[in-house]
Amino acid sequence: MKWSLIKYISFLSLVLLFNLSGYSQNGYEKRVEKYQNQWANLIPTHIKFQYAGGMGLISIGTGWDYGKNNQWETDVFFGFLPKYSTKENKITFTLKQNFIPWTKPIGTKGFYIDPLACGLYINTILNGDFWISEPDKYPNDYYSFSTKMRFNVYIGQRLTYKIPHEKRFFAKSVTAFYELSTNDLYLASAFTNKYLKPKDYLRLSFGLKLQFF
Amino acid sequence: MKKSIGILLLGILCIFQSCEMIEYHPYDGRISGKTDINKKNIARIEETCRNKETIRFAMIGDTQRWYDETEAFVNALNKRNDIDFVIHGGDVSDFGLTKEFLWQRDILNKLKVPYVVLLGNHDCLANGIEVFRKVFGEENFSFIAGRTKFVCLNTNALEFDYSLPVPDFQFIEQEIKDKKDEYDKTVMAMHVRPFSEQFNNNIANVFQRYIKEFPNLQFCLNAHDHNIAVDDLFDDGIIYYGTPNIAKKKYLLFTLNSDNTYNYEVVAY
Repeated sequence: MKWSLIKYISFLSLVLLFNLSGYSQNGYEKRVEKYQNQWANLIPTHIKFQYAGGMGLISIGTGWDYGKNNQWETDVFFGFLPKYSTKENKITFTLKQNFIPWTKPIGTKGFYIDPLACGLYINTILNGDFWISEPDKYPNDYYSFSTKMRFNVYIGQRLTYKIPHEKRFFAKSVTAFYELSTNDLYLASAFTNKYLKPKDYLRLSFGLKLQFF
Repeated sequence: MKKSIGILLLGILCIFQSCEMIEYHPYDGRISGKTDINKKNIARIEETCRNKETIRFAMIGDTQRWYDETEAFVNALNKRNDIDFVIHGGDVSDFGLTKEFLWQRDILNKLKVPYVVLLGNHDCLANGIEVFRKVFGEENFSFIAGRTKFVCLNTNALEFDYSLPVPDFQFIEQEIKDKKDEYDKTVMAMHVRPFSEQFNNNIANVFQRYIKEFPNLQFCLNAHDHNIAVDDLFDDGIIYYGTPNIAKKKYLLFTLNSDNTYNYEVVAY
């Protein structure tokens, strides 16, 4: 009798426990968790600093890694461009899509090389006399290009150092990269002129990436 | 693994070899090399032509994005030794990019004779005019070769929305008075001629009346239309000579003679 009571109670509590946990897994809490995970995917995975490259003197950006081997990367940057011989300093904004097909370890000390990184980026100047399409004062198709939007393409290489677990503070790895890039208008100029050499229409930029997670 | 290190080292080597390939932005206005070209070349023109009675000059224009053709012109002109200077009627840049001004300057600087560059409408795009002013100089300027005054004007009114007087009558008026005893003939040069879509056509006739105040106005020069044109635009005997763009591989050659006549020819190269 006593034994059967214990058995009964434990059975009841098991059922209750199962039901409760089952309820939370299948319902509201599961949905909340899913919802939170979806937003968590939007947390940027890294920050980047870039010097030169048609985006400003210095650009600071953030972005996301994704894909099976994190071979895709999308970044957004704000850049600062001092005025030099023009009348005002400028702020630029860049949207950049990167593709890094391979990563190879070098040695055993945590260094990795990306033999190829490539991508596209769109840069826009946020202030000054630049337009997306020509103002209405001009006859139609008077200037058939945009002074405000530049379409760029690049290839480059990267070197990554994976910080050992015990030494990590905020980042899990640091990547240094360089890129060789050009834009739509330079290509249009180079295409029809032998006079222009690669050193005229290609340009170099350097950067640093800090991977948070 | 050794191969990847090799590739990386090769990449780094390329980087150190090419510091000139660092660019902050296509519109950054970062200028290297010679600036204030017109002022320096005007000093050369005025010096070499000082006591000359016959002046011979070439007129070109619209060299934007035709670097090969511009270089061919420079080579063709350098083979001659009977020309005093070159007037470029404007549009050295196509998109207003900083580098375009420098690329064109570097080609034109290979000319053995001095040259001056007028402001074209394409040179005003984005912050092009700010780069133009630094590299070539003010958009309205004049010089005296022998006894002839050359008045070079910004006539690209459509680009400026009344933020600048285009054409600048105060400048024209001042030029009529300035150095009056040093010249007795005048040639006007501009990028766009009256009645062009760029010109402030409300004052086209006023402009014509005004420029006829200059002593002994010989003719007017313009570029922009990319074609050779010889027109008496106002039926008053003042001929406007339109310059072909550089892709046509032709330039205009003018000879101002001591007897107050002039010759005009089209030279193909």
